[in-house]
Amino acid sequence: MEQTQHDRPRRRWLTSGDRLIHLFPVPAVAVYTLFVVYPIFAAFTYSLFDWKGLVMGRFNFFGNFRTLFTQEPFNRMFRNAFSHNLFYFAVELVVQNVVAFVLAYIIFRKVKGAQFFKIAYFLPRLLSIIIVGFMWKLILNPNMGVLNVLLNKIGLSSWTHAWLGEPATALPAVALVNCWFGIGFFMLILLAGLQSISPEVLEAARLDGSRGLGYIVSVILPMMFQPLVIVAVMTFLQAFEAFELVFAMQGSLGEPYYSTDLLAVFFYRTAFGSNAGDTGNLGVGSAVAVVMFFIIATISGLFMAFVNRRQAE
Amino acid sequence: MKLRRTGAFAALSLFLLAAGCGGGGGGENGAQNNASSGSGASAPPAGNETVKLTVASWNSDQNFVDMWKDVQDALNKVYPGIELDYQPVKSTEYNTALNTALRTNSAADIIQLRPYGAGQAIADAGYLEPIDGLQGLDGFKPDQLAAAQGSDGKQYGVPIMLSSTQLFYNKDIFDKYGLKAPATWDELIAAAETLKKNKVTPFAFGSKEGWVLSLTHGAIAPVFLGADFPGKFAKGEAKVDSPEFVKSIEALKSLTPYFPNNFEGLGMDDIRTMFATGQAAMVFDGSFEIAAIQALNPDIHIGIAPVPSPSGGQPSVSAWVDGSYAINKSSKQIDAAKKVLQFMTTKEFGTIVLQKAKSISPVAGAASDDELVSELAKLSGGNASPYFAVTNLGYGDPTSKVTLENSLQGMFLGKLTPDQVAKEVQKSVDTWFKAAGK
Amino acid sequence: MLTTAVKRSGIYVVAVGYAVIALFPMLLMIVSSFRPNVDILTKPLSLPKKWSAVSYETLFVKLHYASYIKNSVFVSAVMLALLLLFSVMASYYISRFPYKWNNGLFFYFLIGMMLPIKLGLVPLFLLVKQLHLMNSLWSITLIQLASSIPLAVLILTGFFRTLPNELEEAARIDGAGHMGMLLKVLAPLMKPAIGTVTIIHFIGVWNDFFFPMIFIQDEAKKTITVGMLKLFSEFTTDWSVLFAGLTLSSLPMILLFFFASRQFMDGITAGAVK
Repeated sequence: MEQTQHDRPRRRWLTSGDRLIHLFPVPAVAVYTLFVVYPIFAAFTYSLFDWKGLVMGRFNFFGNFRTLFTQEPFNRMFRNAFSHNLFYFAVELVVQNVVAFVLAYIIFRKVKGAQFFKIAYFLPRLLSIIIVGFMWKLILNPNMGVLNVLLNKIGLSSWTHAWLGEPATALPAVALVNCWFGIGFFMLILLAGLQSISPEVLEAARLDGSRGLGYIVSVILPMMFQPLVIVAVMTFLQAFEAFELVFAMQGSLGEPYYSTDLLAVFFYRTAFGSNAGDTGNLGVGSAVAVVMFFIIATISGLFMAFVNRRQAE
Repeated sequence: MKLRRTGAFAALSLFLLAAGCGGGGGGENGAQNNASSGSGASAPPAGNETVKLTVASWNSDQNFVDMWKDVQDALNKVYPGIELDYQPVKSTEYNTALNTALRTNSAADIIQLRPYGAGQAIADAGYLEPIDGLQGLDGFKPDQLAAAQGSDGKQYGVPIMLSSTQLFYNKDIFDKYGLKAPATWDELIAAAETLKKNKVTPFAFGSKEGWVLSLTHGAIAPVFLGADFPGKFAKGEAKVDSPEFVKSIEALKSLTPYFPNNFEGLGMDDIRTMFATGQAAMVFDGSFEIAAIQALNPDIHIGIAPVPSPSGGQPSVSAWVDGSYAINKSSKQIDAAKKVLQFMTTKEFGTIVLQKAKSISPVAGAASDDELVSELAKLSGGNASPYFAVTNLGYGDPTSKVTLENSLQGMFLGKLTPDQVAKEVQKSVDTWFKAAGK
Repeated sequence: MLTTAVKRSGIYVVAVGYAVIALFPMLLMIVSSFRPNVDILTKPLSLPKKWSAVSYETLFVKLHYASYIKNSVFVSAVMLALLLLFSVMASYYISRFPYKWNNGLFFYFLIGMMLPIKLGLVPLFLLVKQLHLMNSLWSITLIQLASSIPLAVLILTGFFRTLPNELEEAARIDGAGHMGMLLKVLAPLMKPAIGTVTIIHFIGVWNDFFFPMIFIQDEAKKTITVGMLKLFSEFTTDWSVLFAGLTLSSLPMILLFFFASRQFMDGITAGAVK
């Protein structure tokens, strides 16, 4: 196609020579560069300056980072939020993905009504995550929420909790709500992975007498490498960008007592001001964003490197 | 694979658009939605342009939305041709929304300011139009005006309402168990015991939302701190980690046995519901909650009492200017906005605030026929204590008030002792505090 | 025999059990929205004795619900139209022409999958301010568009590469230009891929909350998700109205889903599995 011949008269508007073809990617590149690439890289420069409101002040090399890592209460909030992101990630990785796998496997094994189950499991994913947050906030209300009412009804009053008000249960509750939201989606990905395993392999293993859990671990999981990696990476990105659920259920202060604070919530509060009458600090806010970016980029990069090495083997 | 989806999508979009057009209200054409259909804005006399002004506020309860309809009518009797578009935001989201709007020159023309430190930060950032010399300002007391001044000493806002915190009790429940409004701290505890024995939750309270904690603490603290504490604090003679302040925190903590089950998970909405439905008999609460409580249960008989002192001293009601209205410097309608602010200094306006919002107005001479509100006004007009966290702790980043709220939350969750709470707050105060006159 | 029976029923217990967990909250939301508030607050679990739509009336009267929906439809429709146009053009260029920089171009789009756009919020904020798009639906439309382009290009490029080259040859001989080629020859073959891109990004843009929250302050321009914030601040103790609002805002998506559940489920995983 390098040298196409154009010796015919053209009737279309975009035909005066093939050079115009180079305009094709321009709109996409322009919009994407302006609204995605530029802002993320600009955040790096912003973090190196002092800010007064929306006005860039003097250059302050790593001052904002110093504030973030050494000054109370920022350093404490950062450590605290980071550990919560890790916890959040762990819960998603284990609970969400194990449940998603079990459900995918059940559907894969041709249970009756598979189509119905698929739809039922996937439905929560259609809601906006902010709506999911509001909805569960009502369900988990200590007084009138359905969960505690249910527990009281079946005589388990001692099990009732102020689910979103106690540090011990608040973050796990939010993380589990996120699982409820995401399970259907990950179930579909894992199901697609299961369905792409060649039937001959499965058949051969079956004939070898492999059954049950052993069969899943030794035969199926190794064949699922690709989808499992995708699921892990997506789970990671989700957990480290999480914002909406905590915002809807616990507010921008990650209450109670910062026990549900996450990096993105901390970032939002620092950059845009919380309800505390502080007007926010764009410099330190941008510094939080840059640190988050490095965490996300490094870990995704390591993931990818590991996957590439494995595939090379 | 044939996709019929596109057709379905188009059909649904059409359906939704049709539904959207039926509802009226501007879309992308930038037409302002009138939040109150038929707000009764009187038509301006012919030849007069209508000026539209947006008003930003954190009073999102229905009674305030209704109040602004009355303000509109009354305003137009004096200044025809000014149309107000009241745009309330949830109180807990207000500051963030306002910060964002101010930074992008998209804030409302007339802005409600938080009192003292938080409002001052906005004035100091240069977002507001000074209003010194506005007719009617001289009707307010100097300490009321101080709630809406910048560090430069200029006046930026017109105080619009006073809030007070005190003890509310449910008269019917009190009568049922033969209780009366407590005159001493011990009587308060005894009443709580009686209620608890009878399976009534003594206090509606919850620690899920930080601001509720500083509000409750603010109600009971003055009887432990003494009236001169805020003054001494400002001069640097008393600190937040001094024994009397620690005692006030301990007093709040000592009420824990009388709080509802799972109170750690309750916010103001739940507290309001509990008290309104008679599940709880008492609540330390702000005057601004009365209307909402009555809206939930019109039949409730609310009794009001000042918070009793442990040492037989003066009982206390804390009162403070809870907001004032200021003008956005980048508004295109500064003159019209000044007229509105001027109207806010009048008796007519003050009366509407009293009648509709059930809040006490700082305007001299405003009167209400509502027994409860009159009683409130009497109580807080007496020797009210300042609300220390608002008047003195709204500084720093994050503010010391927020630090207090978070630490109190930590205390109720068993993570901090009252002593540690005081130390945390003092640590925050140390980052910005300069003693007055030094 | 018996063990298989036990196993089978065990499997069903799990399958049905999770279906209940997934569906119950949504059912609760719908049922509660038709009950008077007093009932919900006193007997949260009983079925409504009388179905009443009074909360829906409240919603339509007190909130600008119709305008929220209209704004959401506007943002979604414009965003999807532009997304399909731009990403089809870019993918066509990348996949059907052998220019030496095309691999680089493809990779440039690909890194967008890894860039968390939220982290560019502060510069984005100033950018939108400079473009005078604050409080305009175009701000969120463009931001959504930009952050959707990488995945759309990835899916469409993959798909374009599967189409045989002879198609264009035949069209060229007829003297069609590039646009004609795209619209007349390739687009009809692209339907599945276009459907996938549409669905994935429709769910994303319709449900997005973060950007509208930051960039839209004007009541008349709020989208449905941000309108919910207002609902939750004004009707804090009227759970019936809250549930009605949640139901109404989820309804369009759920209806669409039932129209095309298979395409939804195939579509949304396509980006991940391909």
